[in-house]
Amino acid sequence: MNTIVFAQTGGTPSSGLSDLAFLAYLGMILVIILMSLPGFQQRMYIYFAAREIENGLLKIEKALNSAKSKTKQLLEQQGAKNADELTKRFAEMFTIDPVNVEPTDIISRMRLLIRTSEDKVKNIIMSTLPNVDPVTRSKIEVSAEIVNALNMLHKVIRHYLLLGKKMQSYFILIQLQSILPMLVKMAEAYEKAQDTFIKGVPVGDSLGPLVASRFLMNIPEKWSPSKEMIAGETIIDGRKVIVLKAEGPMATVGTPGEAVENVVNKLEGKVNRIITVDAAAKLEGEETGEIAEGTGVAMGDPGPEKIAIERVAVKYNIPIDAVIVKMSLEEAITAMPQKVYEAADKVIEIVKRIINERTKPGDTVIVIGVGNTVGVAQ
Amino acid sequence: MSQQQVQIVTVLKCLKCGYSIERPFREGDFVPKIDGTCPNDGSPLFIWGIYAKSNEQKK
Repeated sequence: MNTIVFAQTGGTPSSGLSDLAFLAYLGMILVIILMSLPGFQQRMYIYFAAREIENGLLKIEKALNSAKSKTKQLLEQQGAKNADELTKRFAEMFTIDPVNVEPTDIISRMRLLIRTSEDKVKNIIMSTLPNVDPVTRSKIEVSAEIVNALNMLHKVIRHYLLLGKKMQSYFILIQLQSILPMLVKMAEAYEKAQDTFIKGVPVGDSLGPLVASRFLMNIPEKWSPSKEMIAGETIIDGRKVIVLKAEGPMATVGTPGEAVENVVNKLEGKVNRIITVDAAAKLEGEETGEIAEGTGVAMGDPGPEKIAIERVAVKYNIPIDAVIVKMSLEEAITAMPQKVYEAADKVIEIVKRIINERTKPGDTVIVIGVGNTVGVAQ
Repeated sequence: MSQQQVQIVTVLKCLKCGYSIERPFREGDFVPKIDGTCPNDGSPLFIWGIYAKSNEQKK
């Protein structure tokens, strides 16, 4: 019947409009029916959430592939014949957390596992490229860490995406969807960081070593208090100041906790103050390059290095000061921002002021520039 | 809309007279490498810093 009516009125413009209106009504009714079906809305949400996560995952995969290809290129430039196989090995490496239901000695167990993991990568590089110089070796090490981190990020996100789709669980997907923008940003920051480390440009996190290098550059005699660390002694306003930093210009953070522990023990605890200088993550709304003073060990370490300083300070009752310069995660691992560079000289003045205000002539002070020392020697 | 253009620069400084100059970063630069001499007094020029100079440009 309707067909006949359409056929009879089909020639006039007003009939075209009524046809459209009829189809719109039909569509609306269809949508209302579909929306009232149990589970339909949820399936729609799952579909859209999964689409968004897949898009984010593609960006992370792009960053991972780029990091892998740069690592392979770096290995090939040094003459490695099995660059592809090595990159795959780096990507799949893992470290198992120590048992934490029994916390006794967890720090020493953690230290052992972290050092073993670091040494393993170093040994693989050295056995493949025995003549590689320390700076290039550290660049390969950082590239391996970046490939490993991106690979893990990619695998975990993919796992929860597939699990959410398989279980038709909107709640798994919405949790992933809500944190995904941050994870994508992190992956993109890692990708940029690799270029910076390969070029040997100091990163935001090199602020601590940069401050320490200002003191150390005029000290002719330096020594190594622990693995990949350098120390020097100077006099500031009548105080003996021992300055520590990771040994640069390699891309390493060294072992600052062990270095402080060794120096304090060697001086039989006769240290009056420990001052730590480090880059710190800023909160949204805070300015990059802002300087703040505080108490405690300024160090973004998983535990073993930081606790070594706290323990030795407690043993000999040494006060610990912290001076931090704020920056975002991306700024901390990519080329040092101008504001952070400009903050370095201000931090030196603050350190000198702390030494003057809180110690007496004849006292001994330890200053540690914490952070990755890429592009900053001593 | 603004676009961030990042240029890596190396700052060279004479510790004797305070003379300072900036140039684009070159691979192999590091703080405090000696790189040339001061045009004022012939003292060594040290690499004093390497940083990302950011110029916010309106698109």
